[in-house]
Order: sequence, then C-alpha cells, then structure tokens
Amino acid sequence: MKKPDLSKLKKIPYKRLAKDFIYGKPVERRRLGDLYQDKTGLYKHREWRGIKDTMYYFNNIWLYNYGMMVYDIMRYGGPIIFAKGVWRYRWVGQSYLPVMHWFDRGLEGTRGETMKASAWHYRAMVSSTIEQFMGMFKADLNTGGDKALHDRTVGHDETLWGGVYYPYDGQLKNIPLQMVPYFVTVHCNSHTVLNYIDAVQAIGLPGDPCPMCQAEAGLFVADDMPDYYKTIMTTNEACDGSVASSIIQDWMINKPLFAMPQPMLFDDDLVQKHCAEEIKGAWKFVEEYYGVKFDMEALKRNLREQNELQEFEWEKWDVAANTPYYPINGVAQALYRIYQSQYGNKPIWHEIDGKVKKILEKCVEQRIETMPLTRHRVIAWSCAPLYYSHWCTWAYNCWGLNTIINMDSLMFDMTISTDDDEQMLLDMARYHEWAPMRRNAVGGMHHIFELWDNMERFNCDMVVMYDQLACKGMQGVHGLFEDEFRARNIHAIWVPHALPDKRVISRSEIRQIINDYMTTVMQEEPIDPSLLEFDDSQSW
Amino acid sequence: MKKVGKFALKALGGAAAAYAGLFAVFYFDLDGKLLFYVVEPFLDKHYSKMERRDPMSVPYMMVKEGEEYVK
Repeated sequence: MKKPDLSKLKKIPYKRLAKDFIYGKPVERRRLGDLYQDKTGLYKHREWRGIKDTMYYFNNIWLYNYGMMVYDIMRYGGPIIFAKGVWRYRWVGQSYLPVMHWFDRGLEGTRGETMKASAWHYRAMVSSTIEQFMGMFKADLNTGGDKALHDRTVGHDETLWGGVYYPYDGQLKNIPLQMVPYFVTVHCNSHTVLNYIDAVQAIGLPGDPCPMCQAEAGLFVADDMPDYYKTIMTTNEACDGSVASSIIQDWMINKPLFAMPQPMLFDDDLVQKHCAEEIKGAWKFVEEYYGVKFDMEALKRNLREQNELQEFEWEKWDVAANTPYYPINGVAQALYRIYQSQYGNKPIWHEIDGKVKKILEKCVEQRIETMPLTRHRVIAWSCAPLYYSHWCTWAYNCWGLNTIINMDSLMFDMTISTDDDEQMLLDMARYHEWAPMRRNAVGGMHHIFELWDNMERFNCDMVVMYDQLACKGMQGVHGLFEDEFRARNIHAIWVPHALPDKRVISRSEIRQIINDYMTTVMQEEPIDPSLLEFDDSQSW
Repeated sequence: MKKVGKFALKALGGAAAAYAGLFAVFYFDLDGKLLFYVVEPFLDKHYSKMERRDPMSVPYMMVKEGEEYVK
C-alpha cells in the first residue's frame, strides 16, 4: 500500500484558513465573482462573511425575511388570497418569489453595520409591497375579491404622491397602479417586465418611447392588472411616453378618471396655485365618488409624521455627506427613499427608521468606517436602470466607487407646513410637483443642474450620469452636460440603459463601460478583478 | 420523567437538524436554484397559456355613459 503524501497536508495554510473562516476573507482574496454560476447569476454558494456576519445574514436577514414575508401575507389577507393572486398574475408569481436574491444582489460584499442597516431598508420595501399586493387581491373582482373593499379603494399612478389621500385615512384605501406590478418587479426579477413591453408594442405603440410607460400600459394590454379600484387618478408620469400610455390605460381601465399632471416648469407661483386647486379638485372627486368626509386632523397628523421621516432622512444625508460612518449602501439608500417618499406616510417606515437610527448612531459614536473600500465618492444623477439598480454594489466591490447619494433620493427635499392651512396646501402642491423625473430630470435647466450643488453638498468627486436612451427630455441635454463636465473638470461616467428593459443595454455592457473608464481615464487597478467580467445575462 | 427527557432530546435534535438543513439551503443557494430552474419556468408556462380577455374589445369613450367628469 502506498503511503499517503503528508507533505501536501503540511503545505495547507491552516492559520489563514481558520482566520478566513472566523473573520471572512480579506478584500484582496475575496473574489466575489467566483461565487456566480455562469449566465444565471445564481450562487455556487452564498458568500462566507466570517462566522458573525454569515450567521447574522442567515438568521436575521435570510430566515427572518422569509418568516416575515409569511407573517405579512397572513396579516394582510391570508394564504388563499395570496395563492389566488399568484396563480392569476404573472408580475407577482414570477417576480416576487425570488425576492431574497434581490437582497443578495444588493447586499453583496457588505459587512457589519452596513449589511444590517441596508437589509432593514429592503425589509421595509418588502413589507410595503406585500401590503399593497394583498390589498389589491383582497379587493380584486377578477379573482372573486370583496366588492365592498373594491368600492373603498382608489387606484392611482405610482408617481402621484400618496399624501393626496391623507384626509381620508381610515375611510379610503389608495393603492398605486404600477408601483408593485411594475416598478418593484423589475428590481426583483428583470424577466417579467419584458412581457408587458412586448404586449404594448404588439398593438402598435412604437418601441422608442420610455419603456416605463410602455410596460405600465402593457400590464393592461396583457390583461394582467387586478380590478381592485372604483376610480383612478392619474399623472402624466412626468414623461413624454406617458401620453400614449395614459390613453391606453384610460381606454382599458374604463372607469371614472381624474387627471392631475405635474407641470413642466413648476417654479412659477401661478403654477403652484393651479396645482393646489388640482389637489382640491382631487379631494372633491374622491368625496363625490366614495362618499367620504374630509378629515383635517387626519391630514395634519399624517403630514407631521411624514415630516418626521424627512427629518430623519436629512440626518442620514448629513452623516453620508460629512463622515465615512454612513451605514447604508447606494442601492438601499436609493430604493428605500424613492419608495417611501413617493408612497407617503406608513407605519413600516417609522418602524424601520427607528432601527436604522440606532445603527446610524452607533456608527457615528464608535466612528465605524462603514465603507472601507471607498476610493471615490460618487453622486448618481438622472434616472437609474431598474434592472441594474445594484450596479453600485458591484462598482463598490470592484472599483471602490461608493455611491453616496442619487438624484431620486433628493427630489422631495422638503417638509410640509401644518401650522397654516393655506401654506400647507401650497407645500402639498410643491411636493406633488416635485415628482420623480420631473423634479431634477425633466423639470428645466436650473433643476437639472442642481447636480453641481449636490456634488458639493455630499462631498462627491465623481458623477455617474445615467443615460436613459428612451428619455427624450434628458437625451436633449446630453451635450450640455458634456460641456459642463469638461468645463468643471469633473470625472463623469455615462451609463446608458433603457430603464426596465435589459435587452437594450445589458448589465454586462454597463460594467464594461465603467471598467473602461476606470482603467483608461482613471488608470486604476480593480479591487476585486474577479468582478471585471462575468456573464449574468439570464440573471433575475 | 425519562420519557419527557427523551422527547425533549429528540425535539432538540430535530430542531438542530432542521436548522442545519436550512443553513445548507441558504449557503448553497438551493432556494434560488429551485426557483430559477423549477418554479419560474413552471409559472412562466402557466401564465403564457392562460386565457386572457382582449382589452381592445372595450370601446374607447371619453365620457362614460351615465357619468360625468367632475373636473
């Protein structure tokens, strides 16, 4: 019998392996790209982050969130209603089952307090998403839902601020039409939305308007929207493509509709007064169709609570702008903020902000450097690719590009007066006018160029400039930005994308553009070379 | 008393085994693999063959019968 070769065993670096096991691999040996299966983006195995962080991720993120999803489904209507919805609607069944992979992609490489605080943001979004789709299914006449609930629910465009309905809190339910069937789905599973884009193009809508509006209209063309609402209230989604999609939606919804489009140039006082009148008109519409009564106390209570959320957001921004102790990564910051500020005041945001506040305070008090790989502080401007909102997690791990803040986080940068009724209404009008895309992207030159002030405000040294290829508004000012970047000597990386449609510009192409800039212009070496090139073309 | 002790031990053992099993599902991304290779293709087929209403059969009317726009 041959003697075993013990010399090989002696060569194994036991100490290093033990250290890696206990604390996780150090950055230079982490090689996160090696964890992926080719094409699918699934993990050969999930990342080992050291004992403490791996067990936290397993117990307090993976297990906890699976458990809380079941809890949310039970408390918002139960498994039968959920199962009916999953069986009937593609966007829920196909998109939301792999939700933990959404967490994984966004939280890749994070450790300690950053991992914890960012995961809480995801938890809030998941809970609110479940509340919304269970609210739809309970009242859905397509699947035998409750007619009385249906008649107490109003559907509205996702870019119509939920605060418009504060005076009817407890009397009326408002659920956005597209936030859950469209917007959040793309982040979780980028496959689903392609069905809706194709459906609307199949009836003749050209392929070049904004694919967001295409997909939103496509939901109706594909007959994949629950019938949970008695009336609808629409905006113009602040965008050119919405002209066609609004007509298609109005046609296919075929219910009483109240339109309150956001004005293009909103700085004029007269426009603000006009918008205030529109809000009053919306209230009149709601009261006539639903027989509900205006409750000023409910309105003010909700506004005060919303102001509390905004004040904590400012506290977060202050830490992000002025210290290296900010424990929320770029994608968690962006998605949570746009979701919360658009949908309006809900208990879940306060609950999660309370948890995040504790972590934030701990990081500041103990001076914990939460993003130690940071080489550049990035501000991301214009509208982000929904199918690759976690690009900033990749860019941080691969290149040390730390996205401190993004344009959509900054759009509702205000509190609303509750002392003076007239001012309150004007503030509400202003909030409504500052809708996603309108506030900084297509709201006029002055607002588009607020980028420079915010670069300074957040101490950023680099810009990632999203280049939404189907956004006619922002495409029109491409050259102006180029000139300004040059004149101001600012490093800016243009990231082309087609919002929800990954077929136009793939994730891999986005990574290649950033890689090229970092190697040729910045002449830097990657932190993790395994992340430079990989194929995730079939990934969620 | 012995029976209670045995039961407690078995329950503890069962819980430990379930916990270890769940950790294996987590670590090897078995939940992701199941959803990607089995659940999603199954649901995709189901949704694709589902009978759907033709929304284009609804006539487009600016003002619906018996209703008035409030605005």
